[in-house]
Amino acid sequence: MRSTRRIPTLATAAVAALALAGCSGGGNSATNTEGGGSGGGSLVIDTAFSIETGDPGNTYDPTGNMVAKALYETLVDFEGSDVTTPVPGLADWEQNEEATEFTFTIEDGHVFSDGSALDADDVVFSLQRVQGMVDAKPNFLLSGVTIEKVDDETVKFTTETPLLQLPAILANPALGIVNSEVVQENGGAIDGSDDAQSYLDGESAGSGPFVLDSLDLTSQVVLTKNEEYTGDEEAAYDRVVIRNVTESATQKINLEGGDTMVAMDLNGDQVSDLADGLTVDSVPSGQTIFLLVNQDPAVGGVTANTAFAEAVRYALDYDSLLELAGSGATQATGVIPTSFLGALDDGVTQDLAAATAALSASGYAGQTVRLQYPNDYPVGGVEFTPLAERVQSQLQAAGIAVELAPAPFTTELDAYVNGTEAFSMWFWGPDYADSANFLPFGPGLKVGLRAGWTADMNPQIAELAAQAAAETNPDEREAAFTDFATAMQDSGPFVPLIVPGSNIATTDEVEGAVYNAVWTMDIAELSPAS
Amino acid sequence: MTLAHAPAPARPTRSPLVGYLIRRLGTSVLLLFGVTIVTFVLTNLVPGDPVAAALGEGAASNPQTVAAYVERYGLDQPLPLQYLAYLGNLMQGDLGTSLTTGRPVTTDLAAAVPATVEIAVGAILVSLVVSVVLGTLAAYRRGLVTDQVVRVVSLVGLSVPTFWLALVAFNFFFLGLGIAPGSGRLSPQYTPPPTVTGLYSVDFLLNGDSVGFFDAMAHLALPVFVLSLFTIGLLTRFIRTSVLEVLDRDFVRAARAKGLGGGRIVLDYVLRGASLPILTVVGIAFGSLLSGTVLVEAVFAWPGLGTYAYNSATSLDLPGVMGVGLVVGVIYLVVNFVVDLLYGFLDPRVRLG
Repeated sequence: MRSTRRIPTLATAAVAALALAGCSGGGNSATNTEGGGSGGGSLVIDTAFSIETGDPGNTYDPTGNMVAKALYETLVDFEGSDVTTPVPGLADWEQNEEATEFTFTIEDGHVFSDGSALDADDVVFSLQRVQGMVDAKPNFLLSGVTIEKVDDETVKFTTETPLLQLPAILANPALGIVNSEVVQENGGAIDGSDDAQSYLDGESAGSGPFVLDSLDLTSQVVLTKNEEYTGDEEAAYDRVVIRNVTESATQKINLEGGDTMVAMDLNGDQVSDLADGLTVDSVPSGQTIFLLVNQDPAVGGVTANTAFAEAVRYALDYDSLLELAGSGATQATGVIPTSFLGALDDGVTQDLAAATAALSASGYAGQTVRLQYPNDYPVGGVEFTPLAERVQSQLQAAGIAVELAPAPFTTELDAYVNGTEAFSMWFWGPDYADSANFLPFGPGLKVGLRAGWTADMNPQIAELAAQAAAETNPDEREAAFTDFATAMQDSGPFVPLIVPGSNIATTDEVEGAVYNAVWTMDIAELSPAS
Repeated sequence: MTLAHAPAPARPTRSPLVGYLIRRLGTSVLLLFGVTIVTFVLTNLVPGDPVAAALGEGAASNPQTVAAYVERYGLDQPLPLQYLAYLGNLMQGDLGTSLTTGRPVTTDLAAAVPATVEIAVGAILVSLVVSVVLGTLAAYRRGLVTDQVVRVVSLVGLSVPTFWLALVAFNFFFLGLGIAPGSGRLSPQYTPPPTVTGLYSVDFLLNGDSVGFFDAMAHLALPVFVLSLFTIGLLTRFIRTSVLEVLDRDFVRAARAKGLGGGRIVLDYVLRGASLPILTVVGIAFGSLLSGTVLVEAVFAWPGLGTYAYNSATSLDLPGVMGVGLVVGVIYLVVNFVVDLLYGFLDPRVRLG
């Protein structure tokens, strides 16, 4: 009899303890935060962290860019999700016709969070500091660029080759402007001896709408409103907590339970069945998932020709592939994603007759082809394994035997970078917001060489890539990129599949959440719903 | 002077415990040395380029950046030299710099280990209490409904995948019933306490912050519950078996014959008699708890050792992986050492010397 009484007693005690703990902990912290969940109180954002530092000069990851964007202003900006048109940020600019000289004039009135004025010395120091830190990830952004002060409001950039995309590059949060005096006092330098990262991990030294309150690389970043901010993106929240929640399922539960107000990593399936009172901004991201057909006979064997790539291109049912990607995703119309200048309007549609003809021309005779891909690195919520399985199934129906060869990302990356994969599935995202980022798909260039595709294999496309890179007239530049993308679709070794979606889900207490391909989300654009 | 007749000075005798401690320490150092070799070799056998994994596409295509990065982390040295350099630094308490966070591994571990210890210790305590009660109950009610129910509960605890259970429990108690807090170690409105031990619950208490303490405890509840379920299943079965073996022993019968109360018989005779096998299993269970934290930490956004281990492994962060290997090795050794000491305490027939 004693035992039968104890079990319910224990169960009751356990539930009571949990309930007591839950009540004291505050399950709905979003509405219990100091100052409340709206009207200038606190904002909670859940995202899977990739941040490595609070120092903009060493930042080159999505979370780091989002934080740096909130703490530091850049010379150039983008509006909302439009990354095709750079607009003045801290400065307006003029450039010569050759796109080799750019003169930036700093807008009056910008001040750092300590109240001191921002001037050309700060701009020159900040950017030369990045150039000096050769082991910093963003270092390559300013390769071949000379930066010099003209006067207190003017900075001149000179490039070794035409660089029409320089304004777009300068919008990268990694090139945010720091308070040169403060940073130099704390180890900052432009000669490569910079040692200011640890300082900037503890305190910010910028002119952005927020200042850094605390940075914990594993759990959360806390920002508070910059009371000295003079720009046009004043923070609507006094305090922002960005939490590291790696599991998208947990982000969804937190959002639906009111523990967070913004969830940044939900996949297409998860946003399709969100509870009432939640909204989602689903747009195509800047990433492209594609198939690579190696053109080096020593690597690809019988499939090392563009006819085989063409057969694969026409054999696939892209609508069916898109079902795996969910909300926001679109078919990749070419190597340039649709949100970038020069992208093609329409992608390939399945044509099994064309696929059969191309397959016949390729010399393929039923050999089993290994499809290599990273199986632990979803891009925009798209898992590669089910996508590869569907590709395998569709190619099988078109007469191409495929064996799946998954491997961890870090293992497979080596083979991809070294061009030793015969047939593989990978992804590509822009380093900065300009279509020049996609020219490396061309023959003899970075991604092209990973496919064993040298410049002499297709001099025409190599020339189109060179023309697009050198073109400085905006209208002709767009046409040049379009010509490049068209030629790549016609006779390139790549098969663009999907541009995954980016889904930012919010409660109805918040508005203004917009995806941006460069900094993911501008926190200062978020505000309490009116 | 009759020095020849003076008694020889008494040679200080070393206690058996001190000798035992010295031997265990020596063995532990050798074991940890083995851990560093195995971890180092295995991590370097993994095909892949840690530079490309750490730098990313853009930076990895810049030869200057790659060269500076390789030099900074000593990756241009032959592997034996890298290992010797690691050992040399290890002797000075330096576990190297993480390739992913860019911070000393000791700093990363100092933040991650307490978070895991907090849930692991909580889970082992909860498991011990619950499984002792359930296991003893089942043994006393052998073959009856209570026994069957406990055995089913135990089997379920062992069979349910931890990741699935964590998601379901989080969904049910937080979203469904609203009695558990959201993910993480604290609610967003709270600031972590000044670090003393790194255990939020303890540090809040030391800081005299009862509100923070209750919030930290609230966030501990679900991860501890989920993590302990497997261990409860494991321990309950062992305790039931151990108690059954002891129940028929003469000293228990004698206690009953003397008219001792049931509670005293259980505590002083039955459980003490069954304690040695239980203790052994608890030591093993603590190890399985550590491996279980990887999944539980992922679901509850708990920034602990499991999360750090996963991130280090997937980014080929050799110093990070080595650091985790060493810490886990040390924890295992310490737990086993404590178990061995407790043997001697619980059973005087066991002599550590």
